[in-house]
Amino acid sequence: MRWAALILAGASILFSACAKPPIAYYWGDYSSSLYNAKKNPTPESLQDHKKVLVHIIQESNRQSLRVPPGVYAEYGYLLLKEGNTTEGMKYLDLEAQTYPESKVFVERVKVQATQPADGKESE
Amino acid sequence: MKHLPSPAILVCLVLWLGSGCVSTLTKQEAFPGMYEEKPRSILVLPPMNETTAADAKEYYSTTLAQPLAYMGYYVFPIEVVTDMMQHEGAYDTEAILAVPPQKFREYFGADAVLFVRITKWDTAYYVIGGHVTVGVAFQLKSTTTGAELWKYDGVLTVNTGGGGGGGGLAGLIVQVVVTAVNTAMADYLPVARQANAIVISTIPTGNYHPRYGQDQGDRIHQRK
Repeated sequence: MRWAALILAGASILFSACAKPPIAYYWGDYSSSLYNAKKNPTPESLQDHKKVLVHIIQESNRQSLRVPPGVYAEYGYLLLKEGNTTEGMKYLDLEAQTYPESKVFVERVKVQATQPADGKESE
Repeated sequence: MKHLPSPAILVCLVLWLGSGCVSTLTKQEAFPGMYEEKPRSILVLPPMNETTAADAKEYYSTTLAQPLAYMGYYVFPIEVVTDMMQHEGAYDTEAILAVPPQKFREYFGADAVLFVRITKWDTAYYVIGGHVTVGVAFQLKSTTTGAELWKYDGVLTVNTGGGGGGGGLAGLIVQVVVTAVNTAMADYLPVARQANAIVISTIPTGNYHPRYGQDQGDRIHQRK
C-alpha cells in the first residue's frame, strides 16, 4: 500500500514537470470544438469549429506564434469542401509555407479536392 | 470502508508501472531509430478500437494532434487525413495494416506513421466510488524502412469518487448520488488527454521542440 502511494506520488511529480509545454502554440478550444462537431454533426457545430480554427489563426498571429500544425490545412480543406476554392487554396498554401513538411500532403489535398469524386458529391 | 482516503479526484497511475518488471532506459537506448532517422512529420492513422465502446475512436482521435505537436513534430491534420483516406476507400486502419508504411511517404510525404490502439475505455461504478479507465498503445513506424521507431503504452484510471465525505447513512447516500452524477458526466476525454500526455512524453523530441536533439539521456520506464 505504502509502496503504491510512493509510486503514485513520484509519478505525479514526474508528470507535473512535463505539464507545461515548452513550445508555445495557441490551440484555443480546438479539441473540444472538434469533438462537438463530431458528436453533433450539424452545420452549426461545423461552423463553430471553423470559427475556432479562424480564432486560432488570428490569435497565433497576434501573439507572433507559429500557427499549430494542421490548422491552416484543416481550415483550407473545409473551405474547399464548401466550394470556396480561392480561399481554401490560400490557406492550404499557408500550411505549406509554414511547414515545408506538409508540401506533398497539401498538393495531394488540392488534387483530390479539384478532381470530381467517384460517384456523386453530396451537397 | 474508510481506510482509503480519497481526494475528490484521485488520479491513480496504475498502468505500465503496475505490473511486471520495470526498467529505466534512456530515450537513446530505448528508441535509437528515432535519433538515426530524425523524422520531422507524423501521420496519425485513425485509431484502432479494441474496446466495446463503439464511439470511442471517433472522439478519442480529437485528442491526439496537440500532444504530438507539443513534442515538436509536424502532425498532419487528422480529420483531413481520415477524410482523404475514406475518399480512397480506406475506412479503418485495421483494413490497411498490410499497406507498407512507405506508401504513406509516397502519398502524403510523411516521415513516420503512427498506429494508435485504444485498449481500454470503460467506467465502473461501485457503492462509494467509480472510475474511468482509458488505455492506449502507440507504435510509430518509419516510412523509409518500415521499421518500428517508437512504441509506448499506458493505462490511466481516474477515480470519480465523491471524496472523503461524512460518515453515517446520509453521507453514504450523498456519496452514491455524487458518484453517479460524476461518473455520468465524467467525460472520457480528459482522462484520454492525460493518458496521451504520459505516453507521448516518452517520444524523443522533434525538430520544432527547443530540446530537439538534446534528450537522448532522458530516462523513461519500460516494461520488460
